This record gives sequence, C-alpha cells and structure tokens, in this order.
Amino acid sequence: MAFLEVEGLGRDFPGVRALDNVSLKLELGRVHILAGENGAGKSTLVKLITGSDPTPSRGHIIIDGKDVAEDPTKFRFIAYVPQELSLFPHLSVAENLFIPYDRADFTGRLINERTLEREAQVYLDRFAITAKPSALVRSISVPDQQLLQIARASTNKHMKVLILDEPTSSLTTTEVERVFNVIKSFRDTGHAIVFISHKMGEVLEIGDDFTVLRNGEKVADGKIDDITERDLIRAMSGSELSFEEHFRPTPPAEPQSGPPILEARNLTGLRFHDVSFELRRGEILGFAGLLGAGRSEVMQTIFGYRKAKSGTVLLQNQPHKLGDTNYSVNHGLLYLSEERKLHGILPQLSVRENIGISILKQTLARFGISSRKERTLVEQIIAAYDIKTASMNKKISFLSGGNQQKAIIGRAMATAPSVLIFDEPTKGIDVRTKAEIYKIMKRLAESGVGIILISSEMDELRKCASRIVTMYAGRQTGAFDNATTSNETLIGAIFGSGSHSNAA
Amino acid sequence: MQRKNLSFLLANPLAGVFVALLIIFVLSALLSPYFLTSYNMSVVARSLAFVGLVTIGQSMLLILGELDLSLGVIGGLCGVIAGMLMMNFGVNPWVAIFLGLVAGAALGCFNGIMVTQLGLHSLVLTIGTAGIYGGINLVLTKGVAITNIPKEIQFLGRGDVLGVPVPFVVMIVVLAIAAFVTLKTPFGRYLYAIGDNTAAATMLGIKVNRVRILVFTAAGTLAALAGLLMVSRLGTAQPSIGDTWVLPPIAASVIGGVATTGGVGTPVGAILGAAIIAIIENIIVLFGVSPYWQGVVSGVIVVLAISFDAISRRYIRRED
Repeated sequence: MAFLEVEGLGRDFPGVRALDNVSLKLELGRVHILAGENGAGKSTLVKLITGSDPTPSRGHIIIDGKDVAEDPTKFRFIAYVPQELSLFPHLSVAENLFIPYDRADFTGRLINERTLEREAQVYLDRFAITAKPSALVRSISVPDQQLLQIARASTNKHMKVLILDEPTSSLTTTEVERVFNVIKSFRDTGHAIVFISHKMGEVLEIGDDFTVLRNGEKVADGKIDDITERDLIRAMSGSELSFEEHFRPTPPAEPQSGPPILEARNLTGLRFHDVSFELRRGEILGFAGLLGAGRSEVMQTIFGYRKAKSGTVLLQNQPHKLGDTNYSVNHGLLYLSEERKLHGILPQLSVRENIGISILKQTLARFGISSRKERTLVEQIIAAYDIKTASMNKKISFLSGGNQQKAIIGRAMATAPSVLIFDEPTKGIDVRTKAEIYKIMKRLAESGVGIILISSEMDELRKCASRIVTMYAGRQTGAFDNATTSNETLIGAIFGSGSHSNAA
Repeated sequence: MQRKNLSFLLANPLAGVFVALLIIFVLSALLSPYFLTSYNMSVVARSLAFVGLVTIGQSMLLILGELDLSLGVIGGLCGVIAGMLMMNFGVNPWVAIFLGLVAGAALGCFNGIMVTQLGLHSLVLTIGTAGIYGGINLVLTKGVAITNIPKEIQFLGRGDVLGVPVPFVVMIVVLAIAAFVTLKTPFGRYLYAIGDNTAAATMLGIKVNRVRILVFTAAGTLAALAGLLMVSRLGTAQPSIGDTWVLPPIAASVIGGVATTGGVGTPVGAILGAAIIAIIENIIVLFGVSPYWQGVVSGVIVVLAISFDAISRRYIRRED
C-alpha cells in the first residue's frame, strides 16, 4: 500500500490544461524520481500534493489512506524543499531552522535563543552542516544553505514524504554526495523521497522508482533498474514529436553570400563563458538549454542590458558597442524579454502609448507628437498583428498575455529592426496564439530579419528553428542543423553530456 | 454618442480633481464675502504661484518615480545666493538672478547624478542633500536675512500684468511648457515609460539616466525660480524661504492624481491639487481660524484624495 497515491489528477488554468490524468504512487523507504522537461507539469503536481494549491480540477490525492479532500490535515506529512534558496539571509541558522516556531514545537511565548541553538545543533550534526547555529545565513556557504533548507523541511515532526526540487543544481560533486547521504538516511528511516532533477547521472544513482511527465500527462513510470538513460530521455522529450506542421523559414533560393547578420565571438559575461555563434540571413537560430543555462544572459549582453566581460559582437559585419541598449535599438538590434511584465510592457499606460513609444520618430510633428498620426499608425499595427483589444486606449495590462506579446512584437517591428531576439516568446500563451507568433517569426525571417529564438520547449525549437545552438551551465555545448539532428542528440547536449557539433 | 462623450469626460483623470476644485471654490465664495475680492484673489494666486513652481518640478519627478525633498531648501539657498551676490558682491541684480537659477540647476543636477550614478534611492539621498543645502544656507547667512534687495527687480515678485500677479503669470507659463513637454514630446513619453517600468524603458533603448538627471535639474531650477521670485516679493533674502515647500507640493501632486509609484499623473493635475490646498489655506485665514489647523486640513484632504482614488480604481478595475 502506497503512502501517497495520486489518481486521475488534473489541473486547469484559464486557457491552459496544466495537468491531466496523472497518477503517482509513493512508497515509504523508496526514492521516487519525478522527471520531465521544463513546463511538463512537475511544479503543478508538486503544488497539488503539498497542498499549496488546494484546488485540483479533477482526480484524487490519497495520503495515509485518506483523501485529502476530506482530511486536509494529511498534508502535514509532506515536506517540500523548493529549488530556489528561500531562506532568511539576515536571520541566524537556528532561527531559519525553526521558523515558524509552532511547527517545530516551540510553543512558548518567548523564544530562548540558547535553547534554540542547542536544538539546532542536533539537526546540523545530522546533516553534516559545519556552520554554527548562531551564524547569519548569508554568511554560510551555498551547499550549507542548500542542506539547511532540507534540514528546515525535516524539522516538521510529522514528515513522511520529503520532496526535493533540484536540490543539487548549484552543488559540486562532493557536495552532492552530502545531499545523497541525507537522502539515503531519510530513506532508511522509512520516509518517501521525491527527487526532481535534470541530471541523469544523479537520477539513475539515487532513484528507486520513476514517473515521467510530459505536457501535463504521465507518459511513463516504473522502476529505475528497468530503464536506460536513453529511454528516460526519450520519454521526457517525446520521440513521437510531431513534425507535421513546422514553421521553419524556407532558405533563400541563392546560396549564402556575404557576412552573417550577427556574429558573437568568444563572448563572456556574468554566468556564461566563451560563446560564439553566427546568425545568417533568412534563418531562425534557436537557443536550447535548461533554465539557468545562460541563454537569456548571452542575449541580454549582446543587446546591452548586461555588461560583457570580454569578447566581441559584429552586427552586419560592423563592431557592435556593448552595454548600451540605446545604441542597440538605434542600430536595429532588438531583444524581446521572457519577462513580459518585468521587461516588456508599460503596465499603467494604454495600448496606444505602449506601441507609440517606439514610433515617436514617425509621429513627431512640428507641434509635438501628433495624436492623429499616432492613432493611425497604432491602428495599423493593431490590425497587422491581430492584437485583440476593445480600444487602443485600454490599459495594456488588461489584455491577455498573447495580445500583450503581439503588441510588443508589433511595437518592435515598427522600428524596422535587422535582428530580433525572442526570449521565450510563447511563455504562458495558448496554443492558437503560439502558432500565430510562429508564423510571424517565419514571415520576418523570410523577409530578411535575423531571428534568434530562445526556448525551453524542445517542440517549439524543432518546429521553428533552422539551426539550434545548445547551452549547458553557461557554456555552449553545440550547434546543430535542426532538420538532420535527433532529439536524443539535442537533449544530450542540453543536459551537458558532452560537446557535439554537426554544423558549426 | 452624446453619452459616450460625457463618460469620456468623466473618465479623464483630471475630472475628479477639477470638480473638487470647483466645489471648493464655489463653497468658499458662498461662505466668505471677502473670498472673491480682487485683493484676496491676488493673494491666493501669488501664494499658489510659489508653491506651484516647486509642485511642477516635484510632480515631474514623481511621474518619473523619483522624489526630491531638497527642493524647498534649494529655493531658499538660491534666493540667499542671489541676494548675497547683489548686496555683498555688487553683482548686477539680473545677473545675480541668472546665477541663482544656475545654482538651482546645479544643485538639482547633483541630486540626479548621485541618484543615477550611485544607484541611490532619491528619498534617502535628498534627505541628506536637503540637510547639506539648508546647512550651507545657514552658514552663509548665519540665519540673518539679506535686506534691501534692489527695487528694479522687486516687480518680479510684487508686480502685476493686467491685474494678474507676475509670479502667477510666470507659473502659468512654466506650467504650459511642462504640460507640453510631458504630453506632447518624446521626452515626456520617456518620463512616463521610465516611471511605469524602468527595466522595460531600458529595454526600449531609452536613456534612462539622462532623462532622470535632466528632470532633477529642471526641478532644481524651478525651485530656485520660486525662491528668487519670493526674494523679490519680500525685498529681503530670508534664509527661511522654502521651508514650507517640502510637503505641500507632494500633497498637491497626490491630490492631483500623480501616483507616488510613478508613471501616472500630469503637472496640470498637480497644480489643480495645489490650488485646492491654496484655497483651503486662504479660507482658514479668512475665517480667522488658527493657522495651526492648516496642517490638519491639508492632511485630511490628502488622505481623502488618495482614499477616493484607491476606491475608484478598484471600481474601474471591476468594470473592466
């Protein structure tokens, strides 16, 4: 009898089916691997089984023999350690361990610091954390912080299931060993562990059982001993990936002549090293990698939003000045950020003002900005990019994500750029609008605009890109011709399993 | 169609503050027979003019998402500098006024450079620079006013143009320029873009820091202008000029619909807000109420204005 059992679980968000018909069985004393690409539905599932999202759309979660819909107190058995460090940097190690105090059975009104630190030492010893209980968390090492997060989750006296979301993503091999020892000791004391990781080696080493999610559905499960690395990767990426409809630009009729539109040579910056690539006329160049592989950092550095440490960039064979977004925009190099809300829209301004900000050169008349010209031009852009809005005077934050994205693309195109970098352009966007955005990219590429597409969805890259550059942990691991490369090769390069290249 | 036009009018963000101003104006006229006399009107206009000039600068900073608490002391210090140049160094009064304006620009610019280049929070920085500028003022004057400002420039503060006080005319001209700049020029659009979302503005290629420094400089210049007009009005360069120009311009901006978080509002709205404050202060004087009540009353108005704004915003959001 499994301690935690999930059956037919589904979760819908407006316009998106994030999770559908997922089943999962966790048994005490075993380590369960939860695998899947970014956006496969792992976090949605974790939120449901930890109770932080208490409203599944369908299905049941049964913990300790009872449906949590009837008995939500069963969630107390579940402890979750998120991927990002979520400690209080200015509080001490001991305080971080036991906050909130009532959970850790510190029920008194006053907190005695000495007691707290004595209790903390017990946990620190168990987890082999070398830091002192009184040390401030911001002053201890990253591995210690990572372990402290796990220790904190385990101060939950009821814990039976421990969910670890990529606990090793910022650790070196010896430090990973420390985490594994902790996992093993929990396993041997009768806990169920859920281990989420993108690192195949670790998964195969520590796992007992596995479940693979893809596009919100369970696509495989079983025992780790019965599966190979290759099969696991294939299950995650989906070998039956449909190529029926693709949006790859048709290569120009005459062979390539002249220099590339954009070229990066040995570019190094914060969180990436020695990246070189060229973007040719008429192609969509894809960038594949895991979250944090450094793709956005590379592009933001080329665009001038981040500082470069070394290396050069050539735009139309001319040296490109780095570190100045104004220069990039004036020279036709535009970057459309993944963070639409943070870096894209001007939320309190209208659709007209949001688009108008990029066409001021065209709307400026003798007596300032001409409202008439602006309205006409914005109207044209709204029509050309099929932006659905009741009125151009509506605040842009009231538009759907897809229409905001189309407004941002329309605004960028109004400046007639020569290079357009799309960073996750379809994040949070429904399928139909996705296809519209793919078509726009294809049209632009064929009309001679250089397009770079960063995407975490392999499917998207395979559908749109002419060539794909892969990155892993801040380094370039390959450059591939999309039409002639297998999924396995690409996924391998994304997961850093060696340096390949079949088309430089 | 007619209905649509009407609702558009009501939807104009200035409508609320304008109606409020109108109501307060009419009420004041009904309550006090002295309110509408030309003498009293010119008193109100003159007092609105000085605070108004500072308000225009402060509101543009607020739209940008910044704030300058040293504007009041910049006004005072620049008045004192111009006064000393005239009286102690025998500089031509017009040249002294020009140099006073340059000093204001320099002080504002300094604030802007510190905020942009060191990435300081403008609120914190200008608490500091307000202390410095105000301190320099006292060091220079030892707290004593510089008297006998030349008659030839006194008309700037005391004179009329067709019955309208000169400072008020100056303020209206500055307001017209500010309104044009904010609403009809690319620079104005950049102001709103930066105030609304600085990261997005950078990504659009806007020279964020340059815009910021320019607006700090402009606000400093306007504060100096207010200080210099006040010196010519009083005929003495009082070190205490500008002491009351710190909070009212911020309150006026908020009443006039400028969001303290940036990106929203106009200088015109801020001046309407300043007019409401000026009228209420005036009516308090006319009724012979203790001036100590002024702070309470203008505080209540600010709280009312922002509460009203928050409530109506919630309503609008639900409508959408």
